[in-house]
Parts: sequence; C-alpha cells; structure tokens
Amino acid sequence: MQDEAGEDWVENARMIVDSAGAIVPADGSLARVRAVRFKGPGYDRGIMAEAGALGLFQMRVGTGAGGLGLGLRETCELARVLGRGLLPEPVLPAIMAAALLQENLPGSALTGEQVLTWAWQDAPGRLDWTGGVKDGRLCGRKHAVQGAAGADLFVVVTGAGIALLPRDAVTVEVADSLDGGKLCSIAFDNAADLRPCATAQSVIEDATLAHSAYLLGVSERALEITLDYLRIRRQFDRPIGSFQALQHRATEMKVGLELSRAAIFATARRFDTGIDAQSRAQAAARVKLRAAQLAMHVSREAIQMHGAIGITDEADIGLFVRKAMAEANLFGSPRMLRARLAAMLDEGLAA
Amino acid sequence: MKDLPDFNAMSDDAFRALARDFVETHYPDIPRYTLGRLHWDQVKPWYMVLSAQGWLCPTWPRAHGGMELTAAKHLILIEEFERYGAARVNDIGPVMLGPLLLKFGTGAQKARFLPRILSGEHIWAQGYSEPGAGSDLAAVRCEAVRDGAEWVINGQKTWCTLGMDANWIFILARTDKTVKKQAGISFLLVPMDAPGVTTRNIENLERETEFCEVFFDDVRIPADHIVGGVNEGWAAAKALLGHERVFIGAPRLSAAAMSRLGHIARRAGVWHDPVFRDRYVALQCDVADLSDLFEAYVDRLRDGRTIGADVAMLKVFQSELYQRISELMMEVAGEEAGAVMPPEGDRRLHAAATYLSARPTTIFGGSTEIMRNMLAKAVLDLPG
Repeated sequence: MQDEAGEDWVENARMIVDSAGAIVPADGSLARVRAVRFKGPGYDRGIMAEAGALGLFQMRVGTGAGGLGLGLRETCELARVLGRGLLPEPVLPAIMAAALLQENLPGSALTGEQVLTWAWQDAPGRLDWTGGVKDGRLCGRKHAVQGAAGADLFVVVTGAGIALLPRDAVTVEVADSLDGGKLCSIAFDNAADLRPCATAQSVIEDATLAHSAYLLGVSERALEITLDYLRIRRQFDRPIGSFQALQHRATEMKVGLELSRAAIFATARRFDTGIDAQSRAQAAARVKLRAAQLAMHVSREAIQMHGAIGITDEADIGLFVRKAMAEANLFGSPRMLRARLAAMLDEGLAA
Repeated sequence: MKDLPDFNAMSDDAFRALARDFVETHYPDIPRYTLGRLHWDQVKPWYMVLSAQGWLCPTWPRAHGGMELTAAKHLILIEEFERYGAARVNDIGPVMLGPLLLKFGTGAQKARFLPRILSGEHIWAQGYSEPGAGSDLAAVRCEAVRDGAEWVINGQKTWCTLGMDANWIFILARTDKTVKKQAGISFLLVPMDAPGVTTRNIENLERETEFCEVFFDDVRIPADHIVGGVNEGWAAAKALLGHERVFIGAPRLSAAAMSRLGHIARRAGVWHDPVFRDRYVALQCDVADLSDLFEAYVDRLRDGRTIGADVAMLKVFQSELYQRISELMMEVAGEEAGAVMPPEGDRRLHAAATYLSARPTTIFGGSTEIMRNMLAKAVLDLPG
C-alpha cells in the first residue's frame, strides 16, 4: 500500500484488469448478467470461486498476512472494470471484508468457495457504523449488506470491533432490487468474539472509493453504448449524433466522467500514500458524490438519447439504468454526502 | 540581458521559493489582487521589472531572452505570482506573438520583434475578431491587397483586449476571396501609428474600457510584415498555445472565488444557513474535482506526453464553474448585489464584480458552445 512502488501500480492494475477478463467478458456481453437477475440471490456463486482463484480477495490483505498488499488504485481500477460489466457478484464487498480480517481470512473465503461479505451500516440513510453491540454482546441490525442473499460468511463491523459470523448466525431480510439483485439487511444476536479493529473507518472509506469506481465503470460503458447509438441511429436522413443539442449533452456526460475518474484515482493515490483522517473522510464523500451523480446523469441521458428503445427491458442500456438506480446511493446518497460535507465545514476543513 | 540560472535544474520546491522571493522582492508599488486588468500606465513598472530581470517570457528559449521553463516550472511561476496577487501585464507579445514568431517567423522578424517585446518598446494587441467574425473566425473580411512592395489594409477588428495600450497589432486579414475561407487568410503585423489606423474604446458591463475596436483605412505596411506566408495565416493562428491550453483550465480562478464566496457569506450572516451550505459544499467538491483533473493534465505535461483536444474539457468546466460560484455569490449578497459601490470599498467582496468578470470566460478563447462542438467531434467521435 506504500507508494514506494511508485508507478508500479499501473502495471499491477493492468495485470488485475487482464485477469478480471475471466469474470467480465471483454466483448461487453451482458448475457450472463441478464441470466442471473431476479433469480436466487441475484448472482452466480460460481463466479465468486473464479474471482477467488484469480486472487482478487487477497488484494487488500497485507503481504505480512499472506495477501497481495495491493493499493487502492489497483482496487479502483478493478472496480471500474467490474462496473463496466455490471458484475452482480459481491467481489468488492468480499475484498473489503478480507481487508478487515487480514490474517484471519478463512481459506474457504479466500478461494471463494464460501461467499464472504461485510455488514457495517447501522441504519438506512445514515453512514454510521458503530452500532450492533449491546452491553458488549453482538446484537442488532445492519443494513444495505451487499450480496447477503447468497453469502456464507459475514464480517460484522461494530464500534467494539469486528466479528465473523456464519450464515446460520444471522437473519437475512431480503427485498428485490431494481437491478435484479437483492437489497438485504441482517439481524443478529450472538455471543461471538468481537476482535478489535482499528481500520474499520478507513476500510469503509476505501470501499466508498471502490464503489465510486464501480459506478464510474457503469457510467463509462453506458456512455459508450449511447455514443454508438448516436452514431448509428438515423432520423431526418442524418445520424442523430450530428445534432448539436445531443452533441452538447454528450460532452457534458464526458466532462463528468473525466472529473469522476480524476477524482477517484487522485484520491486513491492520496489514500495509498497517506492522508490525515479528516481529509480522508471528506475526500471519500466528495468522490462518491460525483460518482453517484454521474451514474444517474449518464443513465438518464442514455434513456432519452435511445428514444423509445431506451425504455424497453430488451435493450441492454436499461440494465445500466437499473444498476445506477439500485446502487448509486450505496455508501451515501448525494443528499447524505452533501449533508456530511456541510457538517465538516465546521471542522475547519478546506476543499 | 541578465545571466539567468538553469531554472529547470532546480527542484520544484527550490524554484517555488525563488519565484516567491522574486515577486516579493521586485513587485512595484502598484495594485495587487485586481479582478480586472490594469492599463499600461499602471502596470508598466511591473513589466519593466520583469523585462530587466529576464522573467518576462517564461516559455521562450533562453537564446531569445526567455526563461525556457518546462510546463511544470511555468505553472509554479504562475501560482506564485497569483498567490502574491501580482497584476497581469500586457502579455499578448510574450504569450501569443512571441511563440508564433519563434515557430513561423523569419530570422529577420525574430531579430526585429522579439527584443522589442522583451524591452517593452513594442506592446502588442491581437486583431482577430470582427463584427461579422466571432466564433466563425475564418469569416474575417478585413482585407489586405498587395500594391507593389506594400500591403494595403481596409477593414475593422474588434474585442482587442487592451488594444488602446498597444503600439503594434497583429491581424488576420483576407488576402484571397476566391478560395475556401480558411485558405485565403494571412497573418500581418501592423504598427498602430501607421496612417489610417484609428481606435475606438468599448466600455464593458463593468463600465471599464478593457477592449477596443481598431479601424484600418488604406493602411500601408511593408510586404515583409507577414508571418507564415501569403494565405497561410490560419494555420499559424491555430497552431498556438501549447501547454497554455492546460493552464487556461486551471482551478485557481474558481478556488479564489470560493474563498471570496465564503467571506461574503459570513459577512451576510448566512455561513451557517443549511440552504447555503448545500450549494456551497457542492461547489467546493466541483473545485476539488477540477483540481484533480487539472493535475492529471499537468502530470501529462510533466511526463512529456502530448495533450489532445480533450484538454478543452478543463476550460469548459472551469469557466462554467466560476460562473456558478458567482451566481451563488449574487444570491448571498442580497440587495447589496445590485449596488455600484463594492462593500467596504473592496471589489473582491463585491458579488457583482465577480459575476460580471465571470461572464467573458465562457466567450473568449473559444466559446463554450464552440468547445462543445469540437469535443463532440474530436473526442467523442460523433458525426459532423
């Protein structure tokens, strides 16, 4: 995670992305994504085993703990590629759960044989994570638990430490999500050991960046598909992409995309090389704000620019719209993030 | 000419310290932190100091009297001068004409004009736009006709920034009306004291005279006052600016406006107003994101990589962001926003001054609409 690696991260990221080709088709096919939606947990556990075989779950486990010790930039680059493919499997949550566990990561989770996720959010619409304990006992609920519907192991994050719970130690509440996945919360009341964990806050911020990069990938691919359509679709004997009204709106999307990309990777670099706690919290909120707005903006414009075909379930662009709607608000909606940033103004922080 | 050290061999920190010390030591007793431009009679002492110290032309080769700074060092210089609030000098000669002559000028032109820019003897104006040729610059009609050993010029140029302070002007003139409009344009150098040149000042919305019109009525110049060959002016004019295209999108203008906005909000008693804060933090994020994108381009310059047409995204976003900040300033200022006199006599606390100074940023240097047309075609590969 130290930056003495210098530019090594570029090469590391390239290798990670190459390997991700095994779980995200390079040709942009979304056939598999369509096949798993609205069924079972909304994803394919077999893909988690493939991701495990690629070593992805060891990315954020330190080399001293037998992991790869890769930086957040590499993680964000992976996340971007996963987002381009609308990957429904909880690969990023498993990476973050493993980052919390470090040397305590079970072998079955490392290989993806068992699906690992994490649960940190105390209440919907809030970013607090220190709840989940009563009188020293693990007891309470966690919300927006990604991948919970098909998970075997849960890292529960509390203010008194973390605990690793098996599936039968939690009650999973499941609601269908617009993208064909599940929106889950978990409840628990358990005598499990709580292990001290000093990194919870920073891992949540890391995850906020990684999720932003996932949304960046979603937006990037949605814009590409939309630009292709603008070049091909003809009306009034011209490609509609020749119309200035659409061209200017397309450039607005591109500007937002590049701002988000720059913000994510510059912030990830700062996280990798060291940054104070307050700046870290503020930067994570800023990056997520841009990414969430971008994903909603691009997917909305994508529908309009596709015309009527854009509102059919048959067209792939709709999968991006649904993904943005289902996931743009994870790790904080724009409203929550702006409120958080506004509160931080009083802490004397500059931009 | 001063014997200058090798700036590029210094560490960034050492050069930054040197630049800071330079401006603190040498800046004359003239206004700092002005929102608008100063005229020649006010800013001349600073120009002459820069000239005497050899710091006037940061990008020119040392052999021609420049500092030959890399892009990264040049950026540091700009940052330190702006941090001190140093006024911008009449820089069309150093920034625009000099690099153009270095690239397209003859040996004789370089020998004659470059030293006179450096000495402050020649102050240049830019004569590109006309009443009928703004965004569609290639539509220029100001005409130059060859008559023996001279060009005879008739027509009009407009929006010449600080043109009233200049004694020379370079113009894009029509030299062939029979070909495609871009192919019939030449780049000419005209002394403003030539018979037939007249100017008329234009008052802007701030009621200041920062630009003027220039009229040419049978103005005669020697045939060799042409740069880049007859009918080759368009290519020369378009080839300009290099890494300046990155710097024009720098976040400093917006960042400085944000700090003024914070000040205005505290003064107006709305700093803790949640409605204000909601918009303030969103703008603050925009500035920070712009800074990150800007740095990505600076890194490219630093690594010697090429800068593509996509760099225009910086200017598009920066200029609109600056305007959005000024719009919130206007709301915060309330009734005071409409007053002619700035609060406490300080224009920097005057929302209206920022609001008006932000207007031209989406117009000059390629309007936002033209930039978006170009981005759509050159970057997004959309059909024409």
